[in-house]
Amino acid sequence: MAALVGAVFLAALGFVARVNGWWGRLPFVDRTRVATDGGHAHEPGSGLAHKPSGITRWLTTVDHKDIGILYGMYGVIAFLWGGVSVMIMRFELFTAAETYISPEMYNALLTSHGITMLFLFGTPIIAAFSNYFVPLLIDADDMAFPRINAIAFWLLPPAALLIWAGFFTIPLDIAISPAQTSWTMYTPLSVEQSNPGVDLMLLGLHLTGVSATMGAINFIATIFTERGDDVTWANLDIFSWTILTQSGLILFAFPLLGSALIMLLLDRNFATTFFAVEGGGPILWQHLFWFFGHPEVYILVLPMMGLVSWILPKFAGRKLFGFKFVVYSTLAIGVLSFGVWAHHMFGSGMDPRIRASFMATSLAIAIPSAVKTFNWITTLWNGKVRLTAPMLFCIGFVANFVIGGITGVFLASVPVNLILHETYYVVGHFHYIVMGMIAFAGFGAIYYWFPIVTGRMYNRKLAKGHFWLSMIGVNITFFAMLLAGYFGMPRRYATYSDFNPELAPLTEITFLHQVMTAGAVIIAVGTILWLLNVVWSWKKGGKVTDPDPWNTKEYGLHGREFAWFEQQLAATDGGETESESAVATDGGADGESVATDGGSEQA
Amino acid sequence: MSDRIFDRETMLDLSVNFIPLGILLFFVLLFLVLAPFPGDPLIVLVQMSLVIIPGIALLMLTYYSGNAIEGSRDDEQAEPGYSEADAEVARSAGEE
Repeated sequence: MAALVGAVFLAALGFVARVNGWWGRLPFVDRTRVATDGGHAHEPGSGLAHKPSGITRWLTTVDHKDIGILYGMYGVIAFLWGGVSVMIMRFELFTAAETYISPEMYNALLTSHGITMLFLFGTPIIAAFSNYFVPLLIDADDMAFPRINAIAFWLLPPAALLIWAGFFTIPLDIAISPAQTSWTMYTPLSVEQSNPGVDLMLLGLHLTGVSATMGAINFIATIFTERGDDVTWANLDIFSWTILTQSGLILFAFPLLGSALIMLLLDRNFATTFFAVEGGGPILWQHLFWFFGHPEVYILVLPMMGLVSWILPKFAGRKLFGFKFVVYSTLAIGVLSFGVWAHHMFGSGMDPRIRASFMATSLAIAIPSAVKTFNWITTLWNGKVRLTAPMLFCIGFVANFVIGGITGVFLASVPVNLILHETYYVVGHFHYIVMGMIAFAGFGAIYYWFPIVTGRMYNRKLAKGHFWLSMIGVNITFFAMLLAGYFGMPRRYATYSDFNPELAPLTEITFLHQVMTAGAVIIAVGTILWLLNVVWSWKKGGKVTDPDPWNTKEYGLHGREFAWFEQQLAATDGGETESESAVATDGGADGESVATDGGSEQA
Repeated sequence: MSDRIFDRETMLDLSVNFIPLGILLFFVLLFLVLAPFPGDPLIVLVQMSLVIIPGIALLMLTYYSGNAIEGSRDDEQAEPGYSEADAEVARSAGEE
């Protein structure tokens, strides 16, 4: 493996050396950067309006909207694999003993589920929204560096292939199997597993980090330098604020992960001792990993909070309550997120005084998070609430955050943490955040912006079915996890048939695992509904001809992205028939005369 | 014009970040008063730094972001996320 890595490196170096005059292709003239063709639409006749058709368009595009769609497609594929892997695990856990898959396969699926959902679904799906909409919201022509934007995306497919490589090679029988390190890759376990699949996964992870860092630099440059004349720091929208903060976090967190991954690769392949007992020690890995890992939580959740802060007021009929509170608390979370990493390591044996410090910062960071929750609730207060599908997901997001957030505050307390940390309680807590919040906000945003991206409306009945199945499924599955944690069910176990009944009651735990599996099936059914709805509606959904499909103008809440959409509709208005227009904003095929996804106003 | 760095309204906006700062300060004082373990200057330095450095970073970011936001505030400008033209359209539609 070491020789292989070295050969790849030398081959890449040789390739770069052979490209003559590469510097001449950079967009600089006399050391001044010149405007690039961002790939956005040009005036007809300008000679630049042409986009290649078919697959060539998608392989060569540097248009921020196209790249946003590519990120979205990528994130969805990853989400589906992450879902399939966890369903296999959940069916295995339906019974206490080993049934369908070996413990080794369970560990591999556990590892792949975690890494896929966090690195290949979570970060890219946020990049999908931010690529498409941040330039529109800040009135930029495109991203500051459109080609770097494309490179950042195209690093991701090979990253996924490397991360999943161990599964692809199972039928080949070439002694490369899936990594079984868990997503935390704790040493010494991750050093001692000789399987080359681990190296491939580490290389893939490194690529995702390079991709995320390039994207973050691009967003920081875009938001600082490409804003329209009438967009200042005072009226920058909340989604762009959260993307800016997230990009700052990525800038400090991901390079550190990359460094740690290289050290781990060196320990594995070149006998260095960064994480060996005689060297830096295994705890060094934990510190480096969680210095990245905890900000990663906020890298994923802050933009989703921004999406909810942007979408929820539209259907509450009111502006976001305390806009600046939300901005300042976003920045506060960004800073404090770098001071709490060792609350993941309270049981590792570190000095109790240092542990107390991490407890203090972990308790402090709960405040800005809670502030946002109260802002959302206060925005709803006395609002003219319309329960459209995006709004339902936003409200579900807030509700799930109350449970997921408060269970996290308990974990910040050292004595509680020491009891609960190795149990399903933690699994329940962070799944309320990751699935109950991050995925929910993603679904809400997909429904909200579906008319802009596709020009069509989704089926509202399927969308509402999707919401209720997801909401019920999430709360069944993850609340059962919290209870199993209280009963003492350890996490990461492939089987649980050998428990000491005095420590963990097998009957109750088996029942809770069955409840979790049932809940996961409900989530899966909801997700299938969503997938069918999106695919079908993209092709066959009613065309949207109303530039204000959510009736936001009525409330003075018409956002800049829908104003852009209005311009697009006006530019492409080429003789729609009356009958086509009539179904355009309905969102359902049942002929109801509802222009806003049926969101009936609630007093 | 007031000599104060931030006016009253801005201070109210920034107060959201004073609460976590207050919590950090509380713990610093608590650690100074209650120290049940044998004194070890290095450990105490690390312990205090882990609370104080994030606090200082938060204070600085709050100050600079407050300056940037309040410095570009203009009562005539559109709401966050809206263009002037759309804000006018939305306003007129809302008034009907």
